[in-house]
Amino acid sequence: MSDDVVLQATDVVKTFSSRGKKLGTRVVSRAVNGVSLEVRRGETLGIVGESGCGKSTLARCLVQLSPVTSGTVAFEGTTLTGLSRRRLRPFRRQFQLVFQDPYASLNPRRTVGDIVAEPMRINHLGSTSAIDARVRELFSTVGLDAAAVNRYPHEFSGGQRQRIGIARSLSLNPTLVIADEPVSALDVSIQAQVLNLMADLQQEFNLTYVFIAHDLGVVRHVSDRVGVMYLGEFVEFGDVGSIYETPLHPYTEALLSVVPELNDTDAPRRERIIITGDVPDPADRPSGCPFHPRCPVATDLCRVEKPALLTIVPGRQVACHYPRNLDAVKATSTTS
Amino acid sequence: MPEAPLLQVRDLTVSFATRQGALRAVDGLSFDVGQKEIVGIVGESGSGKSVAIYSMLGLVREKNATITGSVLFEGREILGLSDKELQPIRGGSIGMIFQDPMTALTPVYTVGWQLVEQIRQHLHLPKAAARQRAIELLGQVGIPDPKSRVDRYPHEFSGGMRQRVVIAMALSCNPRLLIADEPTTALDVTTQAQILDLMLKLQDTYDSSIVIITHDMGVIAEMAHRVVVMYAGRPVEIARELDLVRHPRHPYTWGLLDAVPRLDAKHDRLRTIRGNAVSPLNLPPGCAFAPRCDYVMDQCAQRPPLQGDADHVDACWLSDAQRVTIRQRVEQPS
Repeated sequence: MSDDVVLQATDVVKTFSSRGKKLGTRVVSRAVNGVSLEVRRGETLGIVGESGCGKSTLARCLVQLSPVTSGTVAFEGTTLTGLSRRRLRPFRRQFQLVFQDPYASLNPRRTVGDIVAEPMRINHLGSTSAIDARVRELFSTVGLDAAAVNRYPHEFSGGQRQRIGIARSLSLNPTLVIADEPVSALDVSIQAQVLNLMADLQQEFNLTYVFIAHDLGVVRHVSDRVGVMYLGEFVEFGDVGSIYETPLHPYTEALLSVVPELNDTDAPRRERIIITGDVPDPADRPSGCPFHPRCPVATDLCRVEKPALLTIVPGRQVACHYPRNLDAVKATSTTS
Repeated sequence: MPEAPLLQVRDLTVSFATRQGALRAVDGLSFDVGQKEIVGIVGESGSGKSVAIYSMLGLVREKNATITGSVLFEGREILGLSDKELQPIRGGSIGMIFQDPMTALTPVYTVGWQLVEQIRQHLHLPKAAARQRAIELLGQVGIPDPKSRVDRYPHEFSGGMRQRVVIAMALSCNPRLLIADEPTTALDVTTQAQILDLMLKLQDTYDSSIVIITHDMGVIAEMAHRVVVMYAGRPVEIARELDLVRHPRHPYTWGLLDAVPRLDAKHDRLRTIRGNAVSPLNLPPGCAFAPRCDYVMDQCAQRPPLQGDADHVDACWLSDAQRVTIRQRVEQPS
């Protein structure tokens, strides 16, 4: 394993069990179904998928907020899964979360200065006055007025609150920041401000990001590499530019084709592929390929045999028996 | 002479008396919706786009609200009508699709019951015929096995299927006008594509007009023939869809279009609109966008009127020459 890998997950599975329809029965949902990934230092790894695909559950498993059912997660070479809470503590400082909802993730009864200071207090990082000074510094880093530390969350707009959440996540100088839909609750003009801020901070503090979102445009903008999730699994993984130009998986292809675009140039737009039906219940997974019931090109093989996530060319992986754009992908790989 | 527009909104203003003074949620909104036309109203949160629509249908019931202006539907003034007079219009000749399909349906009755109630109310059909029509409608909006689904409860449907039920309900009485308030915001992109596609198909079948309210410029580009861009309760630009995305004139529209991360190209930085949305309680005296505008001038202390040619109006003091130079400068580096 090369030493520039910050976080490595191997075959992570997370199941939830809930009451079944019949009295006394239980059903098991596999929310995350065997995910492996590597996050490299300094990169932004984008994870994209629709609601219920398990992307938030995966995030929680990566930072040990919820225990994995099986598989391992290692941070800078140390296996975290299975560590006691106490042994985990020193590691927790190094990976921080930014949450989706800037209204729910800040305690309304505490001042925003308190909220940002709390991680430092818990970790005994310096005297009260040193922490105070650091809070003010963080506020100006994220573009907020340092004089606002004594105000309460309700006095701030959504975009400002998300800046506060980001300031809190940076307070312990983390190596890795996992952002779970950090801009999906924001208006587009504010979203652009927060995305630019996150890019600046990444440069300034040499941060590594895992960026989870459902918005394909946002993921394209921030990511170096992208994993596409469907029903708890990666169906495609690769460098951002090549995935968006030549998607291999029919699901990725369909996803990209239906994003409403501004037809402000004369470039021909992608042919829209509208996939029918809904995402299956993770408690009742289809046989074979998880996407086959909705896939426009599925065959009998897809119903029976589940395709493995295979490397097609360096930097491109797909789990599909019949990958799309195969020739184009191979051609660009040999020329570059 | 073109046929008269289906809906004519003139100088619609909605203000709420609050302890901090008058809050103008909608301020002088005028637009037309032609026969079979799809008009998009786009704006960020707080721009007044939903309040405008709700006030037209008598759904703004707050005691401190004052609504002025004129809303002609099929040539008849509907602003200020009583609930009783509005009843045949709401859900009858004007259908509504709301953002959240779970709250638009009542959880305690089957979807069939809810459809039948509305159909009987407006079309005065006998029970069996109404039920037949309900099943037909569910089939039309793409719900598989409508005969058995008609007796299910909303919680037994997925989000996309629920929105289909809401659309079936909006269409149940052959409305002339369909008003859709953020119809796909709560949905995933593959489901959104299904629903937008369905709305376009049905609009064609039913020959109805649509007003679609959204914050998503992409949805506007996909659906609308004409677009009203709103900021702080005021219309800032009204144009045909293609003109708007290719030749936007107002600085706010520029910002809105430029801030969208794109699928087809990767830029290092997104262009942003600086600052935060203004509070409608203390709007600046002139142009509401002035505090966030990069091109603000002395003149902006006065409110600019909506002006331009018949198909493309906007409210900004910049001259044509100034706009051309600004856009050339912005577009050059990329």
